[in-house]
Amino acid sequence: MVFFTRRRIIFLAGVGALFFLSPLILNRYTIFILNLFAIYALVSIGLNLVMGYTGQISAGHAGFLAIGAYFTAIMSTKMGWMPPIAVLVSAGLFTGIIGFLLGIPILRLKGFYIAMATLAFGVVVSEIILQWSSLTHGDDGFRVPRAILLGFVFDSDKKLFYLVQPITIGMILMAINIVRTRVGRAFLAIRQSETASQTMGIHLAKYKTSAFAVSAFYTGVAGGLFAYVITHISPDSFSLGVSIDFIAMIVIGGMGSILGSIIGAVILTGIQQVLSGLPEVQLLIFGVLLILFMIFMPRGISGMILDWRGRLRKGPLVEPASDEDPSRISNRRD
Amino acid sequence: MLLQVIVSGIATGCIYSLMALGLTLIYKSTEHVNFAQGEMAMISGFLAFTFFQFLRFPVALSLILSLLCSVLLGLLMERLLIRPAITAPHFNIFIITLGASIVMQSFAGLVWSYDQFPFPTLFPNKNIILGVVRLNTVTLGIIGTTGLLMLTLFLFFKYTKIGTAMRAVSQSQNAALLMGINVKRSFALTWAISGLVSGIAALLIAPVIFLSTRMGLVVINGFAAAILGGWGSIPGAVLGGIALGVLENVAPYYFPSQIRNIIPFAVLVGVLVIKPTGIIGEERRRRV
Repeated sequence: MVFFTRRRIIFLAGVGALFFLSPLILNRYTIFILNLFAIYALVSIGLNLVMGYTGQISAGHAGFLAIGAYFTAIMSTKMGWMPPIAVLVSAGLFTGIIGFLLGIPILRLKGFYIAMATLAFGVVVSEIILQWSSLTHGDDGFRVPRAILLGFVFDSDKKLFYLVQPITIGMILMAINIVRTRVGRAFLAIRQSETASQTMGIHLAKYKTSAFAVSAFYTGVAGGLFAYVITHISPDSFSLGVSIDFIAMIVIGGMGSILGSIIGAVILTGIQQVLSGLPEVQLLIFGVLLILFMIFMPRGISGMILDWRGRLRKGPLVEPASDEDPSRISNRRD
Repeated sequence: MLLQVIVSGIATGCIYSLMALGLTLIYKSTEHVNFAQGEMAMISGFLAFTFFQFLRFPVALSLILSLLCSVLLGLLMERLLIRPAITAPHFNIFIITLGASIVMQSFAGLVWSYDQFPFPTLFPNKNIILGVVRLNTVTLGIIGTTGLLMLTLFLFFKYTKIGTAMRAVSQSQNAALLMGINVKRSFALTWAISGLVSGIAALLIAPVIFLSTRMGLVVINGFAAAILGGWGSIPGAVLGGIALGVLENVAPYYFPSQIRNIIPFAVLVGVLVIKPTGIIGEERRRRV
């Protein structure tokens, strides 16, 4: 299918222009929410690359978010002259390296073991942040300095909008490219069957660790943006519950779909903001949605949209996992 | 003094063993991983609390009723959440139980709030001096009850007809089906037993650490214990639980006390990195 038809370009340019002019008429809170949507969309895409595409459950992505956020906070305090883009890229790269390193021991593990290892990783990261208070201010939280680019201070949600949104859109386009090319197809093949993909000449170790590295890079950049937007970060913002919220985002939005990641992030962040006064009700809704989607619509909202439009553009690639799926918790003995 | 710490470590470890045992039982028969095991325990604890605190039932009756409820909870989980997705990959079932744990935790938070509540114990709170070690009867009660439960389960699986059938199912579902074993009923029974085990764990631990809606997090210690012992092995679950409990109690003796919080996670990471099969577990190979 041709992606860039003439009509599409005009349409996209129009939507883009409207989107970037929208902060002029929207109120502060709405812009803040739009920024949060973008940040969680990045996390969700990152998690989807490793979980939806490559089939490795990660229950520790809040740990990557925390590393990105604290890296950004510390860098902008100690090296205030660095432009925010450079800080964010280095936060992403640093988190990416951690993701790569985490990916190495995980190579030996399968299914549910990976979930447990990543879960422990997430908790250990937040515990380290809590204990290493000389660097991270521990429990008191960290006041993040404003991002400054050539004397321009990003000191309002409206100004941050022009930092957060272009980066997010750029990274979404990058993700679409990743999953459409050789690398993305290798990820999907690994999810379908590790043994089969190895037989086809896919270097398992290389692709699985790079899935973790790329995923951590996305989440690290999102963490940096999170630090700038929230301005005050503390270890509680990165608890185990947050990692589980991220899983809920991609399950509800659609595993193995970039569009689904964005939809899931928007819906769950929306619910979180609307019910911010009632955290139990919000969690209850997350849990119920998680169960209902997994039982009745394992492909999430994006799967429903694809079915509904009757289009098979990526049909065979996003089919629900077959019986021989390697992502299942373990292997049968008989 | 160290001996004292070890004994209380064994008592804590018994609780972890029970959690690990509940997880392992389900895993062995259905290969599903139940992330909601700890929340099931928490709910049973709160039901018992409701029975004697609000409905004014006698303590013993409340505890028995709550155990019945925990069996029922196990059955409900299996029937409502697992069976509709029985053909789905195990990945999906794991996510479903994750969802169930969130639902139970937030439900309990709404009904019973996030406060801590004192919980009565069936055992008298006395100290027995045995040589150099001062033993608390509650500690002994936990160890004794756990031992008795393990023995009962062992006899059940080894010598009863149903137990044997359940072991057959865990070896091969297809072969068991061909031998005329009702596999669905066996799955349901596994969940019921697992619910009971988690209910007993809750009643044993609640008097010691107080009852709270955060109690469900004990499932992570259960996972750490089961993986330490060797995932999928019943003796491994018991051994891993006790080892983890002792480690958790002895470590603060030598290191700063904050270390206690991260012991289960450190054990998880350590075992998974160094020897993912744990103490007893054996590596499984898959035929292609």
